[in-house]
Amino acid sequence: MRNALILFVAGITAVWFLSPYAQGLVALIGIYALVTLGLNVFMGFAGQVSLGQAAFVALGAYASATLALRLHVSPWLGLVAGGCAAGIAAYAVSFITLRLRETYLALATLAFGIVVSVAFNELDFFGGSSGLKDIPGLTIASWNLDVRGYAIVAWALVAIAFCFTRNLVGSGYGRALVAISSGELGAAALGIDPERLKREAFVLSAVYAGVAGALYASYVSYIDSTSFGFLLSVNFVLMSVLGGLRSLWGALIGAAVVVLLGQFLQNVVPLVIPSARGDVQSFFFGVILIAMLILVPQGIAGRLGSWRRA
Amino acid sequence: MIAEIWQYLLAGIAVGAIYALIAAGFVLVYQVTGLINFAQGEFAMLGAMTAASLAGAGLPALWAAALAVLVASLVGALGYLLAIRPARKANPVILIFITLGLSVAIRGAALFVWGTNSLSLNAFSSGTSVVVFGGVLSPQTPWVIGADVLVFGALYVFLRHTPLGTAVRAAVANPPIARTFGIPLATIGFWSFVAAAAIGGLGGVVVAPITSASYDMGLTLGLAGFVAAVLGGLDSLPGALAGGFLLGIFEKVSGGLISTGWEQGVGFIILIAVLVLRPQGLLGHTVRRA
Repeated sequence: MRNALILFVAGITAVWFLSPYAQGLVALIGIYALVTLGLNVFMGFAGQVSLGQAAFVALGAYASATLALRLHVSPWLGLVAGGCAAGIAAYAVSFITLRLRETYLALATLAFGIVVSVAFNELDFFGGSSGLKDIPGLTIASWNLDVRGYAIVAWALVAIAFCFTRNLVGSGYGRALVAISSGELGAAALGIDPERLKREAFVLSAVYAGVAGALYASYVSYIDSTSFGFLLSVNFVLMSVLGGLRSLWGALIGAAVVVLLGQFLQNVVPLVIPSARGDVQSFFFGVILIAMLILVPQGIAGRLGSWRRA
Repeated sequence: MIAEIWQYLLAGIAVGAIYALIAAGFVLVYQVTGLINFAQGEFAMLGAMTAASLAGAGLPALWAAALAVLVASLVGALGYLLAIRPARKANPVILIFITLGLSVAIRGAALFVWGTNSLSLNAFSSGTSVVVFGGVLSPQTPWVIGADVLVFGALYVFLRHTPLGTAVRAAVANPPIARTFGIPLATIGFWSFVAAAAIGGLGGVVVAPITSASYDMGLTLGLAGFVAAVLGGLDSLPGALAGGFLLGIFEKVSGGLISTGWEQGVGFIILIAVLVLRPQGLLGHTVRRA
């Protein structure tokens, strides 16, 4: 615990002296890491699948932004509201989706993601296709948080979520989740209620995503429905798989690698292939996802962990 | 009002015929391998883009179409051998992620080849639109329906009236017993994947004149195709046909009456409803539990 605290303080000090561009990346990695932490509980530990995690990020972002713009609610409260909105939505949706498994669960979560994206695009109350502009940023006293501030807030949230999640998965609760992933019938025979636990893990992952979304909305101050499409959900899956599905450090590693690699590819690929434009990183992301799953299914953190133990 | 709905319905039939083709690919692969291939829509994109760029280079339409289907099949074969075969023993969730990766990779590769510009392809037959009871049917519609007849007809004849097709049906019905009869399950899995890619490619070729072709069209087409497949029943080819047309009509009629932006949303609301109320789909038999 003390080591983690020292690491955290050291990290913040380091961030303080980075260039604004690097600070922006650190903030983005933090936001994505928060989503991936939740996703790892639901996919890695409980063994389920969600292809609609971007929808919960969107719900959090829109809830916080709408409250701030229309009711002038403080964006700090918006973080809480974003988490709640996503959590409630996940709770409601779970009665439909969690009756399904594997392929069908993947389909249902994917469908949910698209419906949410279409709904935000169509409903004028949420800005429609032109999105929401001028979303108020976070402030501390009279200080309007800059990039540096967001990086610190994001990682403070990650640190809290990380400690909470680590205690959760390290307890009997986490072992119950793992039992579900290796067979619901067997888990039920041990006195575990798979349905309830899956629902709780799903809601937890949505709350993390919602908080991350609310923070994202304040950070970039502009959102529209295209920011939270299917491809973002796929990116979260990639972060989860890359870092290691059943590892919490993996969530942080995965988010960092995907964001940095994405930036790197976006800058380098056009130099090599001048005609390349747009989403140039997607080809590499796809190949990496496949290669990881075939060669290193336990992810980067899982691989590092097995070396350490060996 | 009635005339309007009739017009939306006709538009829905044209779109539905394409969804049915993509859905057929999903069903074929799912039946044989138990796999949902998220890359299915990308094969349609490959077909459309190849056909459009070859026809743009001056190749006769028929040749362009044939080569486009060939390209889609080749990419399908490569994708299966490189991405899916090495992991075929992995659990279903991992396989879903792998086909997801395949889909993103193909789409990204297309971006390198063709860039972000969209390409157009002339309709296969010039001539005026067909008028049916006061509603207008686009000149491309007969071609799309023709492709449906070709594909579903060929699949029916192959599966029901050839020894090889019987072997495929045996492999679907009971893999362990089929194996004891010497039916090579892995080979059948491979060829069903290639056939699905070819069917997807053909779907792309016939849709290109309607929507024009771009590198990112695969996602929407694939998702719609698979809503159609689930709607009809993932293990039923007639279901794919019915699901495709139903979804197309649902989308166009509701899109026309409410707002076109909701079209895609409607499809997915239907998907969720089907998954909850009748997960085996309209004409499907069982929900496969791994």
